[in-house]
Amino acid sequence: MVKKTVFVVAAILLGAFVIGAVDGAHPFGDPGAAPMDDYFLANALNDISAENIVTAIVFDYRGFDTIGEAAVLFTALTAVATLLREGRRKP
Amino acid sequence: MNPLSVVVRTVCDLFAWFMIVFGVNVLLHGYVTPGGGFQGGAIIATFIAFLLVAYGGRRVASRVNDRLFDLFEEVGLLVFFILAFLGLPVTFFFNFLAKPLAESAGGFIPGVGTVALMSVAVGLEVTGALSLIILTMHRGIRMFRGEDLEPETGHDR
Amino acid sequence: MMNSAVQLLVLAVMAVAGFFALWFKDLISSVISLAVFSLMMALEFYLLQAPDVAIAEAAIGAGLSTTIFIITIRACRRPKSREGGKEW
Repeated sequence: MVKKTVFVVAAILLGAFVIGAVDGAHPFGDPGAAPMDDYFLANALNDISAENIVTAIVFDYRGFDTIGEAAVLFTALTAVATLLREGRRKP
Repeated sequence: MNPLSVVVRTVCDLFAWFMIVFGVNVLLHGYVTPGGGFQGGAIIATFIAFLLVAYGGRRVASRVNDRLFDLFEEVGLLVFFILAFLGLPVTFFFNFLAKPLAESAGGFIPGVGTVALMSVAVGLEVTGALSLIILTMHRGIRMFRGEDLEPETGHDR
Repeated sequence: MMNSAVQLLVLAVMAVAGFFALWFKDLISSVISLAVFSLMMALEFYLLQAPDVAIAEAAIGAGLSTTIFIITIRACRRPKSREGGKEW
């Protein structure tokens, strides 16, 4: 009974938080004033002739974040290989 | 592992090679069409999953060489970092090969410069990493049972 | 109007797939439900005009993570009682 009460209260609180967060978000399709986005959209094609601006941002303007992504993948590979490689147990 | 039906295995065997072609297409045209290094590498890494379904673990483990994916990983990361450091006279990650739109026609390297090259490098890295993760996990789960690669009667045609 | 209807349909399928991922007792069925969820999410990203994210979501979510989940489920067996529960 106590467990059920706690569950209901937690569910109501979580629902209230979610509704509040959705209510406070930007309206759909309108991210608001973003001068940096406008800079990318205006200059990426003319400066470095990048047709796909997303790739230009990922590998050129924000290349430092791509290093982080590569490091995350490399760390995951290292962890998996450390745990599971050479799966032969000593008899 | 219980054998899957022959339809599933044949379709997986057929689709695996098309996945490589599609992934390389996404990878190489990352600067024009949606896609890029990470997406193309992830699509190519699906090849190993399809092969595991189509042929079973024992034949894949006997045919596929891990050193190839190690090489992919190392070459990709090294090319990525070297290209990043080559722009260092100006800044880290300076796009030293880029040309403005007016004069970017022709040439072996497209006008976006290091964006296309880094896309291919990151694609190689992601391909190697994800394929190695799947292969290593699939081989390593037998460590806990203390047995060799199981016979897998249904998969070996 | 048409776009909203399609988005409502996709989101409804996402909700149903998420519910079934929790509801199934069989773990393989759960993982397949998660794959359907990821596929619908890729479609939703495509409808929201983010094809880059849609490609990544379809490849990673519906393809690779399903494989990794199934491999992990195969690895996790019930411990055999005759060996003292130490052998997995």
